Amino acid sequence: MAETKHPAHQIVDKEGKVTRDPTWIFRTYSGHSSPKASNELYRANLAKGQTGLSIAFDLATQCGYDSDDRIARPEVGKVGVPINSLDDFHVLFDAIPIEKMNTSMTINGTAMWVLSLYVALARERGLDVQKLTGTTQNDLIKEYLARGTYIFPPEHSLRIIAEMYEFCLREMPEWNASNICSYHLQEAAATPAQELAFALANAIGLLDLLRERGNFSAVEFEQAVGRISFFVNSGIRFVEEMCKMRAFTELWDEITRERYGVKNPKYRRFRYGVQVNSLGLTEAQPENNAWRILIEALGVTLSRDARCRALQLPTWNEALSLPRPWDQQWSLRLQQVLAYETDLLEYPDLFEGSIVVRSKVDDLKRQAMEEIDNILDMGGVKAAIESGYMKSALVRSMTKRMGAINSGEQIVVGMNKWTEGIASPLLSGADGGLFKVDESAARLAVEGLALTRKQRDAGRVDRALAALKEAARTGKNMMEPSIECALARVTTGEWAKALRGVFGEYRPATGIDGQKLGLEGDRVDRVRARVEGLIPRLGRRPRLVVGKPGLDGHSNGAEVIAVSARHVGFDVIYSGIRLSPEEIVRSAVEEDADLIGASVLSGSHLELADQIMEGLREHRAQDRVKVVFGGIIPLSDFEKLFAKGVKKVFTPSDYSLIDIMESIVSVLEEGAG
Amino acid sequence: MEDGERGDLALIDGARALDKHSVAALISLFEDMRPEAVPRRAAVVDQLGRQARPPSAILGITGAPGSGKSSLLARVSLRLLEKDPVLSVAILAVDPSSPISGGALLGDRTRMNFPSWEKRLFFRSQASATELGGLGPWTFQVSRLLEALFDVVIIETVGIGQSEADVRHLADRVYLVMQPLAGDEIQFLKAGIMEIPHAFVLNKSDEPTAARSYHALRSSIALARPDADDIPILRTSARNGTGIDELCDDMLAAVRRPRAPTHDKEAYFFERWVRDEWGRSGVRLLEREWGGAESFVASARSFERAQADFSSRLGDRGR
Repeated sequence: MAETKHPAHQIVDKEGKVTRDPTWIFRTYSGHSSPKASNELYRANLAKGQTGLSIAFDLATQCGYDSDDRIARPEVGKVGVPINSLDDFHVLFDAIPIEKMNTSMTINGTAMWVLSLYVALARERGLDVQKLTGTTQNDLIKEYLARGTYIFPPEHSLRIIAEMYEFCLREMPEWNASNICSYHLQEAAATPAQELAFALANAIGLLDLLRERGNFSAVEFEQAVGRISFFVNSGIRFVEEMCKMRAFTELWDEITRERYGVKNPKYRRFRYGVQVNSLGLTEAQPENNAWRILIEALGVTLSRDARCRALQLPTWNEALSLPRPWDQQWSLRLQQVLAYETDLLEYPDLFEGSIVVRSKVDDLKRQAMEEIDNILDMGGVKAAIESGYMKSALVRSMTKRMGAINSGEQIVVGMNKWTEGIASPLLSGADGGLFKVDESAARLAVEGLALTRKQRDAGRVDRALAALKEAARTGKNMMEPSIECALARVTTGEWAKALRGVFGEYRPATGIDGQKLGLEGDRVDRVRARVEGLIPRLGRRPRLVVGKPGLDGHSNGAEVIAVSARHVGFDVIYSGIRLSPEEIVRSAVEEDADLIGASVLSGSHLELADQIMEGLREHRAQDRVKVVFGGIIPLSDFEKLFAKGVKKVFTPSDYSLIDIMESIVSVLEEGAG
Repeated sequence: MEDGERGDLALIDGARALDKHSVAALISLFEDMRPEAVPRRAAVVDQLGRQARPPSAILGITGAPGSGKSSLLARVSLRLLEKDPVLSVAILAVDPSSPISGGALLGDRTRMNFPSWEKRLFFRSQASATELGGLGPWTFQVSRLLEALFDVVIIETVGIGQSEADVRHLADRVYLVMQPLAGDEIQFLKAGIMEIPHAFVLNKSDEPTAARSYHALRSSIALARPDADDIPILRTSARNGTGIDELCDDMLAAVRRPRAPTHDKEAYFFERWVRDEWGRSGVRLLEREWGGAESFVASARSFERAQADFSSRLGDRGR
């Protein structure tokens, strides 16, 4: 600190000069269609003043399938870029100097593979791998809980994460091998205390594992603690969110000091990036979302002591479709206005000394510590996943939230209050304010894949895969064998298949058992009576198959529907997530179901509807089994779905569970007897 | 849906070829609560009886929630198909219903990772219509249909308690699936109905407590069933595949073993049906005026005919 006394409202630099803080990193989560289209998008975004890359991969890549795999076909290029091999990475990063980029990759089940591709790309470009900076998300705990792109059972997933830490600490010291994510927990309706507790318990599980494995010296372990970074959500209750971030910072400092004895304060700092909340964004009056995003951004930037290091914002139309480039630009401009036009970065922490903030932070910390102790008593985060404890807790929170919105106790402007208004001109453009994925994406990806397979050295591919499997079996670190796979032009599906063969595939606890809903009252009684009324006409209680076709794993919505349907008296066959359309049809046919409820959030609803309908026709069940769809489905696709034979379409604007149940009963009443 | 007798004949032909739609529709008929379904069922059973097929076995798999039955069954069923290239397997998984809404969540399919259109494997969920689990009112009826179509019929039930005793009446061989426990014999005695099973399956045998649990279970069995202490305990792990082959072999042996005559169980479930459907006065009538369940079923020549006869006789009296 400098000698001269400066007023408390100023920030001074090392030389004692009054200064302002550097901005956080501006990111835009993006990627779609094809490596080439995504590369063009990244270059355009960088030219607009974006300061870091955030890569969105399509679900096939995230779940370890090649673009030509049957289960992958409807998903190729939908929610991100398809990556089949190193050839695709060369195109994706064409003319982008990766040694100067801070690259964040939202990749989990195949994180080791994607990092290997990135390292292989650097090696082929002749770059110093030590210099690469960025993050692979690589948090499988939250995949099991909320996001669903896990592949292997927990113990193997945790091993992969640990091996990546061990590799990165020595070979890529500036790389975050994983990001502990609380973001997705809030999207699954976690309360702030749950978000704190589950994320910190997750981090404790990881550090305990790294310590147990014993591959680090004491000095290295302390550095590894310093590499733990977090990916956090920020919701609309922005004062509480700001307090949550302060609680995170303090708790992490305490845990790393007390549990792991980390002496250097630099390694105890809570480093985090943020994507603000999408769960609370509404389809109704979508323009209001712009304000929500702004307010949520304040929660993680206002307090200097708990400010994020990187921020990515969703777009105003997220509840309607994937964002267009203009939508992303609008969100980026918000960050730029906040960081460069306002005086926010000129001040030390604004909340230091606030009695209210102190008390709120302490309250959150106390609740979080109780829950952390609870999870540790259970045997830690792995045990709490395998027993379904954490999942059930989240499903309970989600049903509670839905209940509060349904009853009007929680106000959502434009959705359950002040719903009348002038139609938004933002939706009246030629494209209806929506993004359309280029239909040729899948074809391009499959063609590229075929070319790679044709041109590569088959012998080298076989040897690389054999070495990978050998490492997997013997417990040797799998990073170098994976990098060799990448260089040999092994494909994403081949890499994952090799490891699936060794580790098996994980089937999760659903979290739906024993769930109760806050739905009561006359309307529930009336729906139950209508369900009972169907029994004499059908000869038995009506049966529903609820499932998620395709690869998107956001299962909580489908689970709430399954629980609600039982609550009103249906027999519900919950078929789980990541099902091929054939599997859903098989369930419906074998179970002689009256109705299929399919939930799709990835934008693949048209393809999936085609495949389900075709399957039902093959089994002469097209007249018997009614089909309804739910998910993020633009209004302009409703008629197309109806034309395919889908009876009803539900979107986030149909937040009232009892409305949905009534609507489903009506479909069956029309069809029965 | 195809209705009436001609439709049922077409379904029978389809079901014999293991066409999924036909099997599914027939199961629905065997779960149908409407009175008009009773004579249709009797006709279907008559028709099925006309064409002899190799005898099958009904296997009961029971155990508390969390014992890993579904995951185990997923592996076992696939392995059975591999071991015997012509074998066909039907699984009927029974889950409890909510006492409040009457609805049920049937979640077992989430554990199954079946090849999509394998005809030799059929999976059906059934709600128990009771809170505790165990067998539903239609489980026996459906098992009668499935045993006429498949070589192995596996009935999976949840819940431990009095209701589970029914499984012993229904199945030729009952497996009780348990998971390793941390404690001693007493816990096993408390956890399970030791008198029911023909074989124990100690699942999750890859867990560290499994070896000790095995010995604890052995001695619990000696305490609970001193006359039958040679009962097998199969140690399995659905996770790493341990013991799956042995369990499959035990099951296949049950299929090859000659079956006990089914009169007893038909009579047992017939009386249960009369009680469910017509109450205590129905049972009184059956016993005092119509010679009791055993002779009633025997003279009707099948369970389903007995149901039809009983319904029409009582129907004549006015229900």
